[in-house]
Amino acid sequence: MNKMGTIIGFTFKNKVRTKSFMITTLILVLLLSIGMNLPYIIDQFKGDSTTNAETQIAVIAEDGNQAAELLKAYTSPEGMPQAKVVQYTSADDAELKKALDEGTVEGYVTFAEPTGEGLPPVTYHSENGELKGDVQIYLQNALQQVNTQFVVGDKLTQEQIAAMSTPVQIATQQLNPDGTAGDKDASQESAPAINYVIVYAMLMLFFMSIMMTGNMIAAEITSEKSSRIMEILITSASPLAQMFGKVIGVFLVGLLQIGVIIAAVVVNLKLPHNATILKDLDLDLGQLNINLLLYGIVLYVLGYFLYALMYAAVGSIVSRTEDLGQAVMPIMMLGFVAFYVPLFSISNADTLLVKVASYVPFTSPLTMLLRIGVGEVAIWQVIVSLAILLVTTFIFGWLAAKIYRTGVLMYGKRPSIKEIRKAMKAYKI
Amino acid sequence: MEALKLESVMKQYGEKTAVNGINLTVGKGEIYGLLGANGAGKTTTMRMVLGLIYPDGGNILYNGKPYNSELQQIMGYLPEERGLYPKVKVSDQIVYLARLRGMSASDADKSLRYWLDRFEVPDYYNKKIEELSKGNQQKMGFIAAVVHKPQILILDEAFSGLDPVNVELLKDTVKELRDQGTSILFSTHRMEHVEELCRNITILDRSNTVVQGDIRTIKSGYPREQVLLRTDNEVTGLESIAGVTAVQRQERGYLLSISEIGAAQRILQQAMAQGEVEHFEIKEPTLNQIFIRAVGESHE
Repeated sequence: MNKMGTIIGFTFKNKVRTKSFMITTLILVLLLSIGMNLPYIIDQFKGDSTTNAETQIAVIAEDGNQAAELLKAYTSPEGMPQAKVVQYTSADDAELKKALDEGTVEGYVTFAEPTGEGLPPVTYHSENGELKGDVQIYLQNALQQVNTQFVVGDKLTQEQIAAMSTPVQIATQQLNPDGTAGDKDASQESAPAINYVIVYAMLMLFFMSIMMTGNMIAAEITSEKSSRIMEILITSASPLAQMFGKVIGVFLVGLLQIGVIIAAVVVNLKLPHNATILKDLDLDLGQLNINLLLYGIVLYVLGYFLYALMYAAVGSIVSRTEDLGQAVMPIMMLGFVAFYVPLFSISNADTLLVKVASYVPFTSPLTMLLRIGVGEVAIWQVIVSLAILLVTTFIFGWLAAKIYRTGVLMYGKRPSIKEIRKAMKAYKI
Repeated sequence: MEALKLESVMKQYGEKTAVNGINLTVGKGEIYGLLGANGAGKTTTMRMVLGLIYPDGGNILYNGKPYNSELQQIMGYLPEERGLYPKVKVSDQIVYLARLRGMSASDADKSLRYWLDRFEVPDYYNKKIEELSKGNQQKMGFIAAVVHKPQILILDEAFSGLDPVNVELLKDTVKELRDQGTSILFSTHRMEHVEELCRNITILDRSNTVVQGDIRTIKSGYPREQVLLRTDNEVTGLESIAGVTAVQRQERGYLLSISEIGAAQRILQQAMAQGEVEHFEIKEPTLNQIFIRAVGESHE
């Protein structure tokens, strides 16, 4: 146990001090910071162009034209102030031509002869016959209201018209697994938005962390093997202590990295300009589900150990670092499956595929996380899945130690499965 | 009681026998030489002694007891390939290895500093292994093997790749360790080192023991076949003496090969009849010759 502590300390210290670890962590933090501040940065640039030159749209109509008057009223600062509508009596107006040339006016609207009830057909004229997306949305909204006003006339009050144009709200409520309506428990109600974000973030973080640290372990063992320091290590401490010492040491490295990343996220979220963006997206950190985080940590730890042990076993079979990439391929594939199944199911977390995958030990860590976060899952299902995962991790721990003990002394060509099996019988761990 | 005893130890890799029933005993404070051509089974034997691989037959006893994990603390090993982390500082990794072998961090550090001073390279303490030359890396490997004051030390080709000055330095160190009571199992290709250091040797050839025992006894068992003769003037007719098989002219004198010991006296008489003899020696066979003969014969 004492020796294992020494190995953990040595592994941790040396891994953390490597340039590759520092640079990777730094790049991750930088990318995250840029990513999280991107909406704000874009806003800054956009802000300049919209406030300085307000979009102007012209409307061509005789003075007193009812449609034009209504349109002007709706786009006044009290109505929908994003753009300004100015009226000209003729399309041949010199001032209008000049404004169009200079680009201060985007284009102009004309009304055809009224054909029946409602707004007469509208035509939008612009330099190259385009109707820009934001202008279209804006005009559409304004003209829709003008139309309502046009049809209704004086028959309804302003309040009634306002009530008509209010969008219909659809509220959501989660059902319990037994089909009854969910009780008004806080975690149930807050399940949506923030949980999706957290699950998404945890999926990314865990997948990345497990793949990176796994590769780190495999590379470490292979390099120890190829530099023959393994021969000294094996004669100094038991293989079991060594393998778990390395796995735990690198685990701490992974935790440190995750810690740094989370710290970076928190710092970025605390920045004043990001608070409003969070609010805009309807995300409240106070709604954060602690249960989800706790399950996430347990699943991460077990998932990490399962994959790390597999990487350790593969690393000990290969004798040259060049061969390692090829040898870890199967584990990578497994990792990708474990990652993409929940990722693609994030909007629909209750499919059969997800349910099955949440019990299979290799995919269960991430898939169960998805189900806990945004799907529906009974507590016994979580426990069964965790138990399967735990037992598998133990079996793999034993198997990996055997392979490690055997593999570290096999050099030359990659050994066949038969050779490994035969040699494994010869060693006690 | 012997520090290390191998009793008909065997190892097979598939069909191939790597070590075929080797017996040897290393006493306390003894350097035991393990010789053999490449692939003769030296490293395999050493790995079995270290507990890295298990013998398929026979016993290995350490101070009279079979292998157990406590041995990890009293054994030291210098592998043929140096076996150090290239990118880790000397102090970090040697203290680490010493701690794995049961030393406290402060004792390990003290011991490391002693050895660095001993090899007159105290400034390597903070250097990375990859910054050092091959010979110096080897010295660090040697320190890693002895830093925890092992009772049984296993040196696989300890002197290969070193310059003569460092070979002497390491040889003196090994002798000193021997005098302090360390039992050393030592493998090499260089016969002159063996003659200087070892009392007993085993020569392996293709997994079999071909020569074994005390160096002096081994030598006396081989016929003396060479005569060295130095005179102040030329000696003629040496070739025609009965029993002389070959004559080599040297810078000052002759080296003669003889087929029977009686020929030596006839050479001396012939030389004395022609002038003054400065030097006359019936040479005992060198280990090199014994080795070539033992290994060469079995190849025929």
